[in-house]
Amino acid sequence: MKAASIQVILCKCCTELPAVLNIERLRKLAEESCNVVSVMMVDAICDGKGLPAVVNNAKEAEVDRAVILACHKKDIDPALFKAYRRAGINEFMIEIVNIREEALLPHASEPERAQLKAETMLAASLARARLLAPLEKQTEAMKTKNVVIIGAGASGQAAAHAAAKTGAHTILIEKTGKSLKAPGIVMPHSQVVGAKGYGGNYQLTIKAGDKIENLDAAAVVIATGGGWTQLKGPLAKAVKDAMPLYKLHEHLQAGSVPKGPVVFVDTPDPTGKTMKVQDYAWDDTLETALQLKRKARETQVFVIFQEMRAFGLSELAYKEAADLGIKFVRYDKSAVPKIDPKEPTNLIVKDFAQGDVLSIKIGTLVFSSIPANQDNQAIADALRIPMSVDGGVRRGSIQRWPVTTPRPGIFVCGSALFPKSNEVAKAEGEAAGSMAGEFVAKGEIEFGGSVAQVTQEKCSACLTCIRTCPYEAPFIGTASKAEIKEQLCQGCGMCVGICPSKAIELHHYTDDQIMAQARELLGGDF
Amino acid sequence: MIVAKRKPLNEIAEMVAPYKRVSVIGCRSCVAICLAGGEKEVKMLVSALKVKNKKEGRDQEFEALVVERQCEKEWVKEVEDKVLGSDITLSMACSLGAQTIGDMYPSHVTFPGLNTGIFGVPEEQGVWSEKCVGCGNCIIHTTGGICPISRCAKSMLNGPCGGSANRKCEVNLDTDCAWSAIYDRLKIQNRLELIEKVTPAKDWSTSHAGGRRTYVREDAKLTPHQKKGKEAIQ
Repeated sequence: MKAASIQVILCKCCTELPAVLNIERLRKLAEESCNVVSVMMVDAICDGKGLPAVVNNAKEAEVDRAVILACHKKDIDPALFKAYRRAGINEFMIEIVNIREEALLPHASEPERAQLKAETMLAASLARARLLAPLEKQTEAMKTKNVVIIGAGASGQAAAHAAAKTGAHTILIEKTGKSLKAPGIVMPHSQVVGAKGYGGNYQLTIKAGDKIENLDAAAVVIATGGGWTQLKGPLAKAVKDAMPLYKLHEHLQAGSVPKGPVVFVDTPDPTGKTMKVQDYAWDDTLETALQLKRKARETQVFVIFQEMRAFGLSELAYKEAADLGIKFVRYDKSAVPKIDPKEPTNLIVKDFAQGDVLSIKIGTLVFSSIPANQDNQAIADALRIPMSVDGGVRRGSIQRWPVTTPRPGIFVCGSALFPKSNEVAKAEGEAAGSMAGEFVAKGEIEFGGSVAQVTQEKCSACLTCIRTCPYEAPFIGTASKAEIKEQLCQGCGMCVGICPSKAIELHHYTDDQIMAQARELLGGDF
Repeated sequence: MIVAKRKPLNEIAEMVAPYKRVSVIGCRSCVAICLAGGEKEVKMLVSALKVKNKKEGRDQEFEALVVERQCEKEWVKEVEDKVLGSDITLSMACSLGAQTIGDMYPSHVTFPGLNTGIFGVPEEQGVWSEKCVGCGNCIIHTTGGICPISRCAKSMLNGPCGGSANRKCEVNLDTDCAWSAIYDRLKIQNRLELIEKVTPAKDWSTSHAGGRRTYVREDAKLTPHQKKGKEAIQ
């Protein structure tokens, strides 16, 4: 085998790195390390401008792998891998080390320790890089262009329209019988009860009325929305005139005004101590309070909240609300509102900002009441995706991929994530719909790469991997030994860790690679 | 399968402490499947011992090995050099494996790394329960397919006893009463009349009490003639 020849890229992070680290010492260490044939400094690899020079350097130095000392920014990875591919270097031969967040920032006040950590990390990554092997991904054609959207609420309909625009075949699945206009097929009285397969080629089991149907789907959008709850806790007993926000909305549309003073609270039980995501008052609350106040100037209006969020230009509503005399009272979860023991129709609230204790008379109580959908858990179980602690579907990454889930080809939007206003739900629906459309438009799925593989001679067929894998990727093949279905493997390494016979290895994270790195980091043999 | 559990690290470390070169041998059969002595456990134990030695300043050499079935001589033979090249062998198989190595190399010291426990079945990932004690005289056709010898604290043949309450055993309230389970099983099989049948005392001569048992299958044994032929080839 040809000896490894490594290119080391030191990204200066503009001026951040040299401000703390002795970058020349790092460069020298890299240059003196085994197998390193080229060391190059760049100002900021994430802006992409330096990439051509980096790749040219790789070509000229005839390296076959690279170690890049930079930051966490994964956004640059696709461009980086593409550029290196042009130089004939496989993406699995590139090791990116986050020295900015792991060495520089935590030890910014202690430059020597930062330097030591950066140098150790460089040595460890070089040890790992020497053992890297190129891996090729495979492709498989998608069998269908179907995008299945679960839920026909605001976000679901927006998703259907957006996905249809990309040329995907949309199928809208709705639990209730509500009639609606949407592109593609609409299936009322239907629910997803099971799913097999993988991103690009899912086989869904749909319960349509009393019938069970199978449906191929390339992508799935979860748009199950939120549900409604009733007023809970001691307030439910004390207050007769209470209504959820959407009911007040209907009243106002019909032209009737509720009995004053109208008190808006941010949760179905403001006297409870638990702070959950749904306890935010959204711009819907603000907007409805304004509509009411515009209609009935003499009605006293209070908005009692722990936290309030208004999106974009909705913030302007605060000013109008203040001008019209809507009273905002913020409370802290350590002092939740109580019912006045002397006057059961009064709510005692400690104003967090002023410190005053107010006793507010309730004419009509209006509460936000969109908890996470009760169906979410069942749908997440069927599609094998994780849930967040608040009962919403967990997304891939809050900043970078806000409408994706950890599983390829499954997207999520609207109140299925956590309760939110119609406008935001629609915007998310459009995003999820277009991403699903884009996913389907590729026409093929990519798999393989960093996935697990069984060495059959070592396998005891003990079934441990099959019992452990959350994605049902391992199975017992014709040789009565475990095999891994690459399309289903997410490369999580659970089977690798638990296999009692050490018969499973995760490509790109092999024992050799990890141990070489660990030996450098921790020193010595173990 | 045979289910075993690794001995505590300190106990193992103390056992092997006087010896310089230690060969640790696992087994790919029962003890691998019950997550006690497969290749992974062997390597993890060796790592743990190395770390412990480093911390305590002891100098020892360890070699991690694994064979297909340690209870069979032919498989052990494959690592013979390594066994005899070490000062001590720590067997990470069940006691059968440890004794096979011990019987093969009587002058070589072999210690057990596992505590061999039960004939058990995996109830779920990571949980094994005992369902047989190897009494040598199976009666589960009369007890709805449930073994009262292993699953009843008193190994009763006619149950349940007075200590059975709410389907639990008086010995341990977390343990299901075997005879309650037998009753339920016979009921769904429409064979409840069996529960009223008095079973006389069992013939225990097939069980362990008489010392080491040997099972022989005469027709499978090699004839002296065949044995001679094999020796000639070897």
